[in-house]
Amino acid sequence: MSAAIQFNNVSLSYGIKDDAVEVLKAINFSVESEEVISIVGPSGSGKTSIIMLASGLETATKGSIKINSQEIVGLKENELSEVRRKNIGIVFQSFYLIPNLTAVENVSLSLEANQQFNLEKDAENLLDEFGLSHRFHHLPSELSGGEQQRVAIARALINKPKIILADEPTGNLDSANSDSMMDLLFDYTKKSQTSLVIVTHDNSIANRCDRIVEIRDGEIV
Amino acid sequence: MARLFNFNQFKLINKYALRDFSRSYKKLWVITSTLFVSLLLLSLTFSVKEALNSEIENNSKELLGGDFQVTSGIDPLPDEIIDQFKALGEVSSTIEFATMLSKEGESPVFTELRAVDNRYPLYGAIETRPQIASERIFVRSEKPSVLINESIQKLLKLNLGDDVVIMGQQFEVAGLVSSVPDLVESAVFGEFAIISMESYEKFGLNSGGSFLDHEYRIKFNNSNQVEEQEEFLRSIVAYDDSIETLLPGESGQSLSRVIDNFSNFLNLVSVSAMVIAGIGISNTLLSFVNQNNTSVAVKKSIGFSSSFIQTMYFYEILLILILTSVIAYLIGVFSPLLANELLPKTLGIDLKPTFSFLGFLNIFFIGLLVVLIFSIPSLYSISEIKAGALFRNTFNPVSLNFSLKNILLLIVLIVVLVAYFVFQTEQKFYTVLYFVAFFVTIFIFYGVSKLLILLMKNVYKFSNNSYRIAYRNIVAKKSLAPIMTISLGIGLTLLLTLSFVANNLKKEISDSIPSMAPDLFFVGIDRDIQSNLESFIKGVDPNVELEFSPMASASFISLNGIPIEEVVSESNRSAWVVEGDRRISWSEKPKPDNPIIEGEWWELGNENEMFISMDSRAAYDLGMKINDKITLNILGRDVTGVVKNFREVDYRDISINFAIIINKAFANKLPYEYVGTLKSELSSSDILAKVVEKFPNVSAIKIDRILSQVSDVLNKVFIAVTAISLIVIVIGLIVIVSAVLVQTTFRRYNNLIYKILGVDFPTILKAMTMEFAVIYGTLIFFALTVAVISSYLVVENTLQLSWQFDLGLTLWILVSTALVSFILILLANRSIFSPKVYPLIRNE
Ligand SMILES: Nc1ncnc2c1ncn2[C@@H]1O[C@H](COP(=O)(O)OP(=O)(O)OP(=O)(O)O)[C@@H](O)[C@H]1O
Ligand SMILES: [Mg+2]
Repeated sequence: MSAAIQFNNVSLSYGIKDDAVEVLKAINFSVESEEVISIVGPSGSGKTSIIMLASGLETATKGSIKINSQEIVGLKENELSEVRRKNIGIVFQSFYLIPNLTAVENVSLSLEANQQFNLEKDAENLLDEFGLSHRFHHLPSELSGGEQQRVAIARALINKPKIILADEPTGNLDSANSDSMMDLLFDYTKKSQTSLVIVTHDNSIANRCDRIVEIRDGEIV
Repeated sequence: MARLFNFNQFKLINKYALRDFSRSYKKLWVITSTLFVSLLLLSLTFSVKEALNSEIENNSKELLGGDFQVTSGIDPLPDEIIDQFKALGEVSSTIEFATMLSKEGESPVFTELRAVDNRYPLYGAIETRPQIASERIFVRSEKPSVLINESIQKLLKLNLGDDVVIMGQQFEVAGLVSSVPDLVESAVFGEFAIISMESYEKFGLNSGGSFLDHEYRIKFNNSNQVEEQEEFLRSIVAYDDSIETLLPGESGQSLSRVIDNFSNFLNLVSVSAMVIAGIGISNTLLSFVNQNNTSVAVKKSIGFSSSFIQTMYFYEILLILILTSVIAYLIGVFSPLLANELLPKTLGIDLKPTFSFLGFLNIFFIGLLVVLIFSIPSLYSISEIKAGALFRNTFNPVSLNFSLKNILLLIVLIVVLVAYFVFQTEQKFYTVLYFVAFFVTIFIFYGVSKLLILLMKNVYKFSNNSYRIAYRNIVAKKSLAPIMTISLGIGLTLLLTLSFVANNLKKEISDSIPSMAPDLFFVGIDRDIQSNLESFIKGVDPNVELEFSPMASASFISLNGIPIEEVVSESNRSAWVVEGDRRISWSEKPKPDNPIIEGEWWELGNENEMFISMDSRAAYDLGMKINDKITLNILGRDVTGVVKNFREVDYRDISINFAIIINKAFANKLPYEYVGTLKSELSSSDILAKVVEKFPNVSAIKIDRILSQVSDVLNKVFIAVTAISLIVIVIGLIVIVSAVLVQTTFRRYNNLIYKILGVDFPTILKAMTMEFAVIYGTLIFFALTVAVISSYLVVENTLQLSWQFDLGLTLWILVSTALVSFILILLANRSIFSPKVYPLIRNE
């Protein structure tokens, strides 16, 4: 079985020449399909950078990145959008729901990006599973942080992506909320046979994963 | 754009756009309102112009009064020819001439009198009050009747049944002419009267004089083979060059041209308004994109491409454009009904609303071009929003995207826009010139805003708190300066330029001309009575300034043996001198107010040779040189003469001026009449009354009456033009207010910081005043400069008048614009004066 994500000698630097900061130094790692891994490491070590590269929202300076065997380094913006649309769901630390869309509309957005129309029912079912049946038509500003993050996760999952990338998804939540959120995420990825990459500072979360990747100063240790 | 053609994508775009529309329409009011106002302006111009032109076209036979018209000038056509006309159809003959209409105790009125037969008009009708009055003039009685227009009625304070005297003969006023089918200028703006041909002949009203026209109109019996009949008629009268023929449609041509020119001008102003609206659109869109940058980033992270998001926003604007252009067009369609109310009733024009899909497309297309030009750089900024920023919670505001591809696209679109206008107008050169001047002005004002920032950074340095705040606001990245200088700058420049031009024209007519001009202008004075008339007037007022000049008709044939049509193009500024009938004069000595600037005056007494003195400007325009040979047709005979000198002629004083003067010795052989001017300390009305009583055949125009007619018309044009340039300013103000509103968050934040730092309200208010004053001050400097230069060029070169600066008017415009703008800006800013600390802490 091929890897869901494959990093080969991937480097990332910001700035040019003398001022260049080398954030990732020729790292190699892969995530198998259905594998759940966590990425841990001190602040500034390059965790978020890995997620950005894997989602095609940042361009590697060197090396090759394959998503489901497709090389994404060197793709054009539109092609990257397509790869993302078809394969990847992203969960951000700060939720980032679209403020003037309701919960259902925020979730449906993902479906519609994939040309799947009139599936509000699916979105509602998923939100229902996430315990938000009474919040379908509320705007993000009318939801609590935990509720917002559940909508955000539903948005990432609704398309049944092969890969879910989550950057400190519980960073803005209290521990109770955080636990129920992680249960949701773990259950769902198991059920739908999805790979999951979680960046976290929380050891209890990291320990629930199949594998922990530790990163320090842009290198995997 | 290609996305719109993929149906599923389109459905999605449509859905998102409508959803976005319904939830954030408040942010789009600027785009909607400015686009609407400028499209409305364009639509009104187009519709009224179309309606006027189609009215002229549909009524071309009424405007001519027949299917064919022949004008034979002073002499009537021989009966044999009229008989030939009659073989083709009904013939109506009229005679038109200028004469005096007088009433006891009132100053006589110079009137255009038309004697008509009872078949006139062959098409249309003379509208009179009471209605039957038009027939009364044909009723045979001892005392004949006359129809007068309202202007005569007012000037002479006449009632129905009153008596007036025309050339010594009493007429009874039978009614008021409210309109005649052909739009005679004097019927609309001046004094016009109608009598029957029978009374004209019976009472021998013939004044002689060269200001007399015999006109014949024919209505064909056979409405087929019109062209053959026209051809035949032309061949009948071909024996005499001075006989003119006219077809339906040709008579309305000059009117159409006036309408076209005016509407072209209005179109250009509308486009300027639209461009300023475009600046607002660009600014609003950009801030819209920046306000929604996280939403855009999220959409990208989900997998929507930049072009999808761009298309969605563009689609929203397209919807606004469709909506506003449909409404603007529909209002435009019905505007002719309003125009009917505003146009003088005497025109007898009844404009009808006409709907044409092409007319709508025309407006929509122009709107689309402007919207494209101004939304491309804003919408392409979407591609600069990085979804990766969502991971780092930092968003950099994006700015207008001027990639090479965009710049090329913009150039193409601008060229298409300009070309679209240029191809629609006859005045191609002026249209291109206007666009060039307009774009140059935009660049100047853009440069001005940059210059201002540069000056503030490097030159003006005051250590005053308010000034420092103002300084910060102006040099800030989101400064108001560029948008204010451009949108207000252009509006103000346009307003100033147009008012300068109009004001100079008005001044000329109300001040300069009257001080130089004579009081009375005598026309068509028979050579037999000239000396009697002169001594009679000198008897009435010994100190009178009286000048008579002989006059004859001639037409220009050739210059140095080359037919004049080949030498002079129609667009030549002085083409009028060589076109058609020209009245020439002669004198023994050079006229004192016509200094000779090249060549020499001629020796006296050379009877066999014609010497010519030319108006210098015409001579230079037509490329003449001293000793050139000119052939004139005088009374049907070609005479060749030598150009001896060029005179400088100032036509503005309305004294008797001739472009062409010949030597008296030669001219003495010609039949001629006199024209004359009179300037007197006494009341010219009294003198005129006495003259007309003694010499009933003498006609004289009162100059002040002409001037007041002209200035009446000019005043209306002035009001229209000012109103239109005000619309441009209003759109500019909407744009500025929207720019201010867009900034409020940023400004509120700044003010809050100042407040925390202990800066009080008066200081902030003072800072805002200073900011406005600095921007406005710089702006008016350049607006004034551009307006002065452009109005100077128009006044001195195109209108040939001397340009004057009017400080009062300038101050009035500048101060009132400043006040209105500043108050609006303050109002738009009112929410930032009392910033609450609370939302800032909540991070809202
Ligand atoms: N645009 C940039 N220019 C220069 N350096 C950058 C840029 N973005 C990130 N960095 C640097 O890259 C390094 C890695 O950043 P990254 O966000 O991946 O760290 P992280 O491991 O996610 O840290 P944290 O746990 O604090 O979120 C940091 O040292 C950061 O300063
Ligand atoms: Mg991070």
